[in-house]
Amino acid sequence: MSEHKLSHHEEEADDRALFGFWVYLMTDLLMFAVLFAVYAVLHGNTDGGETGRELFKLPLALTNTLILLTSSFTCGIAMIAARKGDKRQTLLWFGATFLLGLAFLALEIFEFYELIHEGHNLGSNAFLSSFFVLLGTHGLHITFGLLWIAVTLGYILKRGLNRHMVRKLTMLSLFWHFLDIVWIFIFTIVYLGAFV
Amino acid sequence: MSHQHVAPQHNNGSEHGTVKSYVIGFLLSLLFTFIPYVIVVNQVVTGTKLLITILGFGVIQAIIQVTFFLHLGRGPKPNWNQFFFVSTIAIILIVVGGSIIIIQNLHYNMSPQDKVKKIANDENIYQVGGKETGACKVIGKNHIVVIRNGEVKPLLTTTKKCDTLSFVNNDDKREITFGAHPNHDVYAGETELVIRKGRSKTITLSEVGTFQFHDHLQPGTAGNFIVKP
Repeated sequence: MSEHKLSHHEEEADDRALFGFWVYLMTDLLMFAVLFAVYAVLHGNTDGGETGRELFKLPLALTNTLILLTSSFTCGIAMIAARKGDKRQTLLWFGATFLLGLAFLALEIFEFYELIHEGHNLGSNAFLSSFFVLLGTHGLHITFGLLWIAVTLGYILKRGLNRHMVRKLTMLSLFWHFLDIVWIFIFTIVYLGAFV
Repeated sequence: MSHQHVAPQHNNGSEHGTVKSYVIGFLLSLLFTFIPYVIVVNQVVTGTKLLITILGFGVIQAIIQVTFFLHLGRGPKPNWNQFFFVSTIAIILIVVGGSIIIIQNLHYNMSPQDKVKKIANDENIYQVGGKETGACKVIGKNHIVVIRNGEVKPLLTTTKKCDTLSFVNNDDKREITFGAHPNHDVYAGETELVIRKGRSKTITLSEVGTFQFHDHLQPGTAGNFIVKP
């Protein structure tokens, strides 16, 4: 089937799909906001244990922030390539996004492992519970995003780039940018906030 | 290589970007990440000022990314995405802001030791694991102090340890605290008694000595009580 100029109906369907996805993202944002509220209320309840100031390593957090920010950037460039129909560039830039996202996840898991290994785990106190749930939820979203990227790239490799793939990629990129925006607040409120 | 016509001129109701916008967004975000980081590491400002500073930088970076990465606001009007985004932010402010305000008021002025002491006193928990808490085991008689038209009757109440003292307020809401104005002392874990019109609050007198109390809102309304051993 050859590509054809979009009919009005198809354009509207695309609009609706993207709008629906956007509304989903807003509900996701609301969920994160509630987790932030919980963290804001409970971050001081350490049950006599160490506070964030004593546990967090800012250089590590900064590194993760920069990695995710860069991946958001590469994702943007990838979308430009996708809209131009450039299959190779799309694969390249989304591939870079994937690798950066993977690095972010690995560093975060490493950080979690160290904390848990030293006895600071989800059940230790309210502060750590809210910390792990907030960051863990974000990490789960990242994991899902990575899977999504991998599957989509696989599809593009096998079946090429077309309008439907671009719509899927648009949603994926919205999702990925959204996760970076949430991370801005995690970095600010959780990590930087611990040193206020 | 197949170069399919993939992007129609119509922008699908979603907003698109150029390389330039992504680069600008990226560089600005980098800037707004490093600046607060450096400020925190070097503690250029501290306390509430620091908190507001880093939050400010965070909010601005979020706006940068929403503008340059998500391209919100550049689509055709009516921009439903933008509308939903703004509505969500409004809901978030209410939910998060409200939660924080509520919890702040719970924690107001109470140190953990005060909290423990107050609970022990209120519940007459006189010993824990064999160790005495200082709270009373047996309650004595109740003394009543009435506040009307700004006057405290009686001005001085003499009591015995483990009696109780009731403050009855017939005026508009009073915030009774201990010590002499402007001090806000703590008595047996009690930091402040907020008593609405026509209501009373009772404390257990587990500490011996001579004590003052006053209305934090109108310090002229004050009185004393003695707790004998």
